[in-house]
Amino acid sequence: MKRTGDPLVDDYLKQLDRALSDLPKTRRRELMAEIAGHIEEARSGLDPENDAEVRNILERLGDPAEIAAEERARSGAHTRRGGLLEILALIGLLVGGFLFVVGWFVGVVLLWVSDAWSTREKLVGTLLVPGGLLPAFLFGTGAVGGYSETCGGEVDPVTGADINVVCTGGPSLAARILWIAVFIVCVVGPFFTTAFLARRMRRPATSYQPSPGSA
Amino acid sequence: MVDGRQDALLAQMRRGTLQYCVLALLASEERYGFDLVRGLADVDGMVTSEGTIYPLLSRLRRDGLVESTWQESPSGPPRRYYRATAAGRRALEEFRLEWSRFRDAVDAFVGGKDER
Repeated sequence: MKRTGDPLVDDYLKQLDRALSDLPKTRRRELMAEIAGHIEEARSGLDPENDAEVRNILERLGDPAEIAAEERARSGAHTRRGGLLEILALIGLLVGGFLFVVGWFVGVVLLWVSDAWSTREKLVGTLLVPGGLLPAFLFGTGAVGGYSETCGGEVDPVTGADINVVCTGGPSLAARILWIAVFIVCVVGPFFTTAFLARRMRRPATSYQPSPGSA
Repeated sequence: MVDGRQDALLAQMRRGTLQYCVLALLASEERYGFDLVRGLADVDGMVTSEGTIYPLLSRLRRDGLVESTWQESPSGPPRRYYRATAAGRRALEEFRLEWSRFRDAVDAFVGGKDER
């Protein structure tokens, strides 16, 4: 964020930016620029300016939370959430990997193109877990990351059962635990991410009602 | 008696009519954001938080009721000038008719002093 050289103004703009954090980036940037321009314009009319006057400008602008609430309410009908693009993104991220891996990349592109999520949410969607459920599938079928063990022994001539079995080449206990942990993350992660993104996406543009006046 | 409910009602009435006040200010001339906001806020009782007008302006723009252009300012950064579109002026005209009927109707009941 651009600094204005006045700690009061910087603090106000920081609060506003935070209050707007769940809004689409383009809207957030535009509104921030307009409010910053308003403050600059108001300050240029002061001669000389002092803290009390700057405070007055900010007070007249109002509580950042109130401005953010107004933006959410006014943009409600226009905030596109849960459209076809978002649904395809979620499907691509979860199971797209099985479509020659390309499907997952398509999901990532759609995720980043959509304005229904914040940058942080998009990062979660991309990194947990790259490939969606594909890595879990590969792990599970032993295609990658599995371990092999060779066992030698003798066959009991009477019962036909293995006796004196000695296994070598198996992983240590720590490696097994790590393997299981990675496997669980690979299985649970994509489902968690899908649920997380679906919930964030559907977050309604809270309609601003001063109070539920029932009169 | 002014209680919270009445405050809320007044806030909603203000909120609902504000966009037409903005359209009226922008119908005959273009104004830049700060000028428009101060013009509204200087009339007592219309706007409590100046910052909330910017989300409204953006909404009106997306609805095609106002349009904006960036212009150089004689001092300081470029200014965004707003002006009502033809659709905006039509919406204002429709509201004007409805509003005066509504205002007259309410006035007929509550307009005068209570003489009882």
